[in-house]
Amino acid sequence: MNAEGLIAIAAGIAVFTGAGAGIGIGIAASKAAEAVARQPEASGKVTNITLLGAALAEATAIYGFVVALLLIFVKWPA
Amino acid sequence: MNLSEELVNVINPHDLFNITVFGISIPVSDTVVITWVVMAFLIIAAILMTRGMKTIPEGKQNFIEWIVEAINGFVKTNIGHHWQHFASYLGTVFLFLIAANTISIFNVIPGAEELYKLTHLELFENIPNIKLRPPTRDVNVTSCMAIMSIILVLISGILIKKPVGWIKSFFEPSPVIAPFKVLDYFIRPMSLCLRLFGNILGAFVIMELVYMAIPVLIPAGLSIYFDLFDGALQAYIFVFLTSLYIGEAVE
Repeated sequence: MNAEGLIAIAAGIAVFTGAGAGIGIGIAASKAAEAVARQPEASGKVTNITLLGAALAEATAIYGFVVALLLIFVKWPA
Repeated sequence: MNLSEELVNVINPHDLFNITVFGISIPVSDTVVITWVVMAFLIIAAILMTRGMKTIPEGKQNFIEWIVEAINGFVKTNIGHHWQHFASYLGTVFLFLIAANTISIFNVIPGAEELYKLTHLELFENIPNIKLRPPTRDVNVTSCMAIMSIILVLISGILIKKPVGWIKSFFEPSPVIAPFKVLDYFIRPMSLCLRLFGNILGAFVIMELVYMAIPVLIPAGLSIYFDLFDGALQAYIFVFLTSLYIGEAVE
């Protein structure tokens, strides 16, 4: 196996962080839907908090994505 | 040129020309030029929209008042008592980021290279080729925004709580968490910067891949999500998190 193959595998593993973020945002969204169903008048506040939670949960996926990009575009042997 | 080379060429900001100040030549990349375009757009729009204001608003003044009131209300709910000091900065950052993130939908204007290919006029040959790509795909721009935000958090905390109160706030509720509170000042700008950069770059890469594969019809639908929705949402989240940090620092 050469360096390019290993870098490609590493980038793939780095992007796998997206799985956790997907589960996290899914849980946040489902709970937000429940909360709005119970208390429709609080939908503004719920939306705000959901967006914040989704943005924070998404950070891990973004870090994985940035690491993968760095691996491919910076470390790739010319 | 194969696909990956083309992609790298599109992603990386390239230097257009140099400005020489005191014998040091500073390269100016296309992200800087597009930032100037966004700034010019915002400044001209602000001047045009606020001309001839009346006590009873009508037409464009209704729209501009709606924007200002929405921003003021948003800042008031997140920061509370001291909102007036921060509303203008946060509003400016919000409008700038929205304009910067969604600017790639105006990419229909042909660049200098395409004009030269079409017309073969020498006039277009020497103009540097500028395509309207979001400046926030450059990590330098987003890190700048994040550092500005965290400096604002620092200064507002020190000014509003007074230096002694500010230092005391590190040891509340328990002295054990003081190192983590110091670390916060390094982690927060990094996560702000990388969140904006990663989201915009990711959406941008996907859109460029779609443009390369299927240049007609399909990008129009995807562009609504990746350019407009994602760009506006990330601008909102950036301002929202900044206002939360400020609110925590001045409470």
